[in-house]
Amino acid sequence: MVLATALKQAGLAALVINYAGMVGMIAVIVLVLVLVFKMERVKELGSELARLRRAFDDLDNQGKIILQTDLELHRAQEELDKKISGLIALQDLTRLISTTLDAEEIFRKIEEKHISQIGFDKAIAFTRTDTGEYRLRSCIGYTWEEGAKVVNLILGEPLLLRHVLDERRVFSSADEDRTHKDVARLLALMALSSFILAPIVQKGGALGALLVGSESSFTQLTGGDKDLIYILATQIGQALENARLFEETWRAQQVLEQKVQQRTRELTAALEEINAISKRKSDFISAVSHELRTPLTSIKGYASIVAAGKLGELPPAAKERIEKINKHSDNLTNLINNLLDISRIESGRVEMKMEKIDLGVLIGEIADMLAPPIKERDLTLVLRLPENLSAAVGDKNQIERVFINLVGNAMKFTPVGGKITVAAEDAGERLALSVSDTGIGISEKDLDKIFEEFYRVDNDVNQKVKGTGLGLALVKYIVEAHKGKLTASSTLGKGTTFAFTLSKANIL
Amino acid sequence: MSTLIGVGFSEKKDPYLAGCDAAQTALYQVHHRKIALCFVFSTIHFSHQKLIDGIGYALGSPRLLGCSGANLIVSDGLKRYGVGVMLISSDKLRCGIGAATDCKTKGAQALGEEWARAALKDLNEPERHQALIFPDGLIENGSELLRGIKNVLGKSFPIVGASSADNFRFVRTYQYLGPNILSDGIVGAVIGGGLSFGIGLRHGWKPLGKPHTITRSVGNIVKTIDDKPAIDIYADYFGRSTGEVAKTLIRISTNYPLGLYVPGEREYILRNALRVDDEGGLVCQGDAAAGTEVRLMMGTKSGALAAATEAATEARQTLKNDILRGALIFESISRSKLLGRLTQEEMSRIKDILGNVPMLGISTFGEQAPLKSLEYYGSTYFHNETLAILAIGEPYGPGHSA
Repeated sequence: MVLATALKQAGLAALVINYAGMVGMIAVIVLVLVLVFKMERVKELGSELARLRRAFDDLDNQGKIILQTDLELHRAQEELDKKISGLIALQDLTRLISTTLDAEEIFRKIEEKHISQIGFDKAIAFTRTDTGEYRLRSCIGYTWEEGAKVVNLILGEPLLLRHVLDERRVFSSADEDRTHKDVARLLALMALSSFILAPIVQKGGALGALLVGSESSFTQLTGGDKDLIYILATQIGQALENARLFEETWRAQQVLEQKVQQRTRELTAALEEINAISKRKSDFISAVSHELRTPLTSIKGYASIVAAGKLGELPPAAKERIEKINKHSDNLTNLINNLLDISRIESGRVEMKMEKIDLGVLIGEIADMLAPPIKERDLTLVLRLPENLSAAVGDKNQIERVFINLVGNAMKFTPVGGKITVAAEDAGERLALSVSDTGIGISEKDLDKIFEEFYRVDNDVNQKVKGTGLGLALVKYIVEAHKGKLTASSTLGKGTTFAFTLSKANIL
Repeated sequence: MSTLIGVGFSEKKDPYLAGCDAAQTALYQVHHRKIALCFVFSTIHFSHQKLIDGIGYALGSPRLLGCSGANLIVSDGLKRYGVGVMLISSDKLRCGIGAATDCKTKGAQALGEEWARAALKDLNEPERHQALIFPDGLIENGSELLRGIKNVLGKSFPIVGASSADNFRFVRTYQYLGPNILSDGIVGAVIGGGLSFGIGLRHGWKPLGKPHTITRSVGNIVKTIDDKPAIDIYADYFGRSTGEVAKTLIRISTNYPLGLYVPGEREYILRNALRVDDEGGLVCQGDAAAGTEVRLMMGTKSGALAAATEAATEARQTLKNDILRGALIFESISRSKLLGRLTQEEMSRIKDILGNVPMLGISTFGEQAPLKSLEYYGSTYFHNETLAILAIGEPYGPGHSA
């Protein structure tokens, strides 16, 4: 029983074990399957991770490409910005210096803000003087002592002298190897990290140079910087050339002005001398005339008495001589009176009694007065006076003398049958008057001299008819005393016209 | 009396006259009222002492601080030459100004601590809201300097600043405090009182390529990236030898800085590499800790312009409903170079957000401004290639007009 039970239990146990084994087997199989599945998944994930890592690396590499490209773009952009800022500053500066005609002022206009806008920290400009020495003209970022040292440094450096002043090319420290001992030394002595030196060029060659430099070691000079500084230096050169030309012109003008002033002074002195002589002459004539007129009056008086037969009848020969004395005394009196009038007008001792003159009436009266001798010589007197002729202003007696002298003159030189025309017309603010004849005329060479005192044209009429040579001179003085102008035009054999002007009454 | 801000700018050749001219223009805009604080920024070209003397002639002895910059930023764009003066006239403004110098001897951290103590002493009152600093841009480790300042003012005290520059000369920059001109130092102000300040900070640079890890660093020197000398990252990406890269490192790194991933921040912190050390490590302007994810960054004009809008928006929003009176703008010289003539467009975008308020700024060698994520508790960090805008506001109150 016990055994049976034991066997039964053993069988049951074996059955349990069998079942357990089967379950275990199944579990192992499942686990294996899960493991295989998981391993597959891990493999997939590993593959995915590797793919992601590659993508990540690819993205990182793309980032590198982007950065490198951006760096180039950044440089280009910086260069562009620098160029635009530089061009704006250059435009401002050019406008300032090109409107300046003073060489000193041109350099004063270059300020630190302009150099800063162009992208540099320091600047120096120097030019050659007339004596051949170089002079510091502008100094920015350096003291003047430091600037002078930098100029000496440049002038003592054959590399720069040859390149810039002789060959007129722009020198950039960036073009040279920075380890080049001369460039490195210059940079150290100038306290700069980079610089550009451009020639200031004029017609005759390089006048000097413009140096701009940067203290920052991060400034990278480019071709654009060189171009910009070259343009600026050229602009300075042109502005200096303009200033020089202006100064030359100004100096020439000054010299001319001084000469004009000198000549004016000389002429004024000469005029004063002439006036003094003229006054002495007038005074002399006046004195002499007065002295002559007194005895002449006596001579004429006595001659008239004798000629009138008041002292008894004269024999015909004596009477003839006495009448000649009387006639010549009249001529002499006339001459002396004219001389006195000229002298008085010339010296301003005659005061013109200015009044309104109706020229139509005045000329009519003169025509009436001269009608007999005109008729006697078979001449025609034509008056051309518009009806609405304006009134003139003047001394009536003197204007009358003008007309009598001019018409008398015309009568003298106009052959029988000729015509004398007296004309008047409004001419703007003045009146134009003229006396024309169809006489023998005056040669061109005599026309300039006929108004001179005592000048008599050498012709047949003058040889036959005596005259003083003072009539036209007196007319000229009278017209000029009325602020008018007397002119003469003539054609030999055809006639002469004397024209003059007078003021209108309404502008008195 | 409400707050008035005036800005003057001059390009006069004579530094004394330029300073005087800019100061007089600004003074006119604040109606010749008493000046609480005067900011002066100038390009490197002037004789700085004469410039400050000219400003002193126009203003008397104002509380003056400022520095030299690579460019000047005024409301119509970038100026490569000139001086700008911003005057704040306000009875609400309290400030303590100070200076510390001789960083080469004292070290950047000690310098920062010295400056902060001097400014606090000058302020002489417990209430303070904002620090404004102008350190020498040639100080290599800007982070160490900030660490010193934070040691005194507190880790999360808001600091905004601009590192003075000399237009890529890397020779000498200038800081102004009162009538004094400093170099190798820091000037700045700790500001208290009733004015409010809004800070906007963006750069717009984007990461390129796969992430790398700083595997070893010492302060501001990134020794290895992915266990390779750090210089290799530039050599690898630009396909050049390490020697070539070393020669033009500043030029390359200002355009393509390293970007440090900052959890929680919208943008990476950027680091310029100044030089390569003997082991091929990159000496940066700010800290870069080992273990930090680092990428190479690339800027685009559109990205930089969009960043300007975002920075201005952020600065304005921080002021909430306060009246905006003016703004200081500190922009990395690299951004100015990237944008070129588009800086005018950038200013136009800032004005679209801030309106036509008085603005003045400079192109810098580095910027300081707080990060905003919770992980950083608003702590200030050193930045490169970044635009930092400090909007100056005034709460509405009786007698105030918008």
